Amino acid sequence: MRLVAVGVDYRSAPASVREALAFDGDKGPGGLRALTEAFPSCEFVVLSTCNRVEVYVAGDPENVPGVDALASFLSGFHQIPDETFAGHLVSYHDEGSIGHLFRVAASLESLVLGEGQILGQVREAYREAKKHNTAGPILHKVFENAIRVGKKVREETGMDQGKLSVASVAVDVARGVFDTFTDKTVLVIGAGKMGDLTLRHLKTLNPGKILVTNRSPERAEAAAQRWGGQAVPFERLNLALIEADVVVSTTAADDPILTYDQYVRVQRARRNRLALILDIAIPRDVEPRVGDLDRVMLYNVDDLRAQAEENRKQRMRGVDPALAIIERETAVCYAALRHQRYAGAVLKQLGENVDAIRKREISALYDACPDLTEPQRAAIAHMAQRLQNQFLHQPRAALRSAAAEPVQEHPHPLLHAVRHLFGLADG
Amino acid sequence: MERLTVLCFAGTYALALLGELARFGVRAPLRWYATVGLTALAWFVQTAYLLNLASVSGHVPMTTVFESMMALSWIFAALGLYFMVHAPKPVAVGTFILPIVVALTTVAGLAAPRRADWGASWSGATVFWGSTHGLFLLAGAVSTCVAFAAGLMYLAQAKKLKTKRPSRFGITLPSLEQSERINRAAITIAFPLLTFGLLIGLILSMTTNAAAPGGPALTWFDPKVISALAMWLVFAVLLHARFRPAMRGRGVVVLTIIAFAFLVFTWVGVEALRLPTAHGVSRTNPNATATGRPL
Repeated sequence: MRLVAVGVDYRSAPASVREALAFDGDKGPGGLRALTEAFPSCEFVVLSTCNRVEVYVAGDPENVPGVDALASFLSGFHQIPDETFAGHLVSYHDEGSIGHLFRVAASLESLVLGEGQILGQVREAYREAKKHNTAGPILHKVFENAIRVGKKVREETGMDQGKLSVASVAVDVARGVFDTFTDKTVLVIGAGKMGDLTLRHLKTLNPGKILVTNRSPERAEAAAQRWGGQAVPFERLNLALIEADVVVSTTAADDPILTYDQYVRVQRARRNRLALILDIAIPRDVEPRVGDLDRVMLYNVDDLRAQAEENRKQRMRGVDPALAIIERETAVCYAALRHQRYAGAVLKQLGENVDAIRKREISALYDACPDLTEPQRAAIAHMAQRLQNQFLHQPRAALRSAAAEPVQEHPHPLLHAVRHLFGLADG
Repeated sequence: MERLTVLCFAGTYALALLGELARFGVRAPLRWYATVGLTALAWFVQTAYLLNLASVSGHVPMTTVFESMMALSWIFAALGLYFMVHAPKPVAVGTFILPIVVALTTVAGLAAPRRADWGASWSGATVFWGSTHGLFLLAGAVSTCVAFAAGLMYLAQAKKLKTKRPSRFGITLPSLEQSERINRAAITIAFPLLTFGLLIGLILSMTTNAAAPGGPALTWFDPKVISALAMWLVFAVLLHARFRPAMRGRGVVVLTIIAFAFLVFTWVGVEALRLPTAHGVSRTNPNATATGRPL
């Protein structure tokens, strides 16, 4: 059994190379078909994302192509010269390729540590290979395990927990305050880039209403149109504040535009409803004392950054436990694969061995009894075949069951015993 | 069945609570399954215990403080189990519900009287209204427990947001809005239930006092009556506060906690402090009577 993974990723190759080698659109199924035609006895899965392009190949050692042959295939398929990407290719072999795939699925190899998309992409690549019948017993086992390990790593290490950007942390905070957003109003004060970014994230929560206000009515109108909101004159800021449940403030004002006393009055008019204020302006737009009000959650840009940084550290703390899980799972998966292959070889050998004995004995019987008619010969042959099947049924079932067991030692003692009992040669 | 003791399920609930608290250190998904499994197991054992109690005594197990507290913890555990299964796994609902369940079963097992001195001459109608009185109070108590747990979740989430701490891995809490909504709804349901329960109890006491003059009679100065009225008063304030904008949030939650404390005191405090009461369920000593004018 041999396993090879060849490809490029964001670390080994620039975007232009990754784009040139990508199996996107029709190239995905086409690539799988072309690989099967080029290397007919092998199994394939192609993982193609914006950050990596990898071809996983498995099969018997004599059939699995080397890295050079795969590089030539990539060159021919994408019609680009070898030298364009040869220096960027990275390859992994056997246990190494399983470990690499597990790390990829667990997002340890991702640009953003712990991102969730890659597991779906691995699942999709495997589904595509299954659809085109290019994944065989080896890659079935490897990819099913990779998806399981990817989930396990996330569950046990929290690698996917906590957002890493200021804007997405703001969304998390909003979810901590409010349950539903369809009945909420978001007010954006100012029309800066940061406000745009935060609003883009907040839009995913489907707020019921978006209000935009700015000292410049034109800019407010433009931002409101961009976000499907409603522009409010800056002079009516207090009325907008009364209506708003989430306030995103991003003005470039030198002094706070929202004071404690002002917001106390606003809160009274709001009948003390819950409020979230995201002050992402520097210098700050909102007097920090506003956050002392019981029903007001005030977050400034430093608070959001600190949370993002803490989340990043938390993910980093998960790396070592994740690697330990992957190392353990890789060893188990590889051993199970070897075990299954070995059990398969023993079963095959057992069948061939007993077949040879049956044929030899029948042939000797026919020679000794030349008067046997054709129907008699056929009946004897049929009986011998049935006898062989019945004798071998139990050993075969036991071997298959042993092959499916979690690997304790290699080879399984039963496999060893069958070899010994039936006089099968080691191989 | 006779061998089933409170210890069986109280201990299992306590183990489930340990499993729930392990979320602060253990990250394996197995922890969640163990916690929910233990809670479900404890709940089924408690169900069997209550069924056995009902079949032995021949009535709904709500005639003593012990039985009604058992029923309360059983209903509250069922609600907790429902929320634990339906909420996403990182939401730490069990952290707030299981301690209450463990506390209720433990207090019931250790401190609540298992006997009650119901009037021997009580007729079918009196028994019916007595049971209705108990059922209303039980339903009100369940709602109060829900309001209390939701209030605690609100306080914890508010503190987390105010101190700007990021979520610890594997632990999240319902949003402030959600906790507040559950708290408000539970208070709104609890108040009329408790009011009707207490009113029925009041009328029942008056009629039984009139029907059996000279017997043990509840008076306005009976500790059970005083604590029940104080509890009702706190609930009335709570309901009022719920509609006052200035009291929203922390104010309502603090009042909910006080109301819960009054409820627990009314339920078992009188018995635990061995105060003399003529209340039918709590009067473990038939000769104990309170002084004062009968209701």
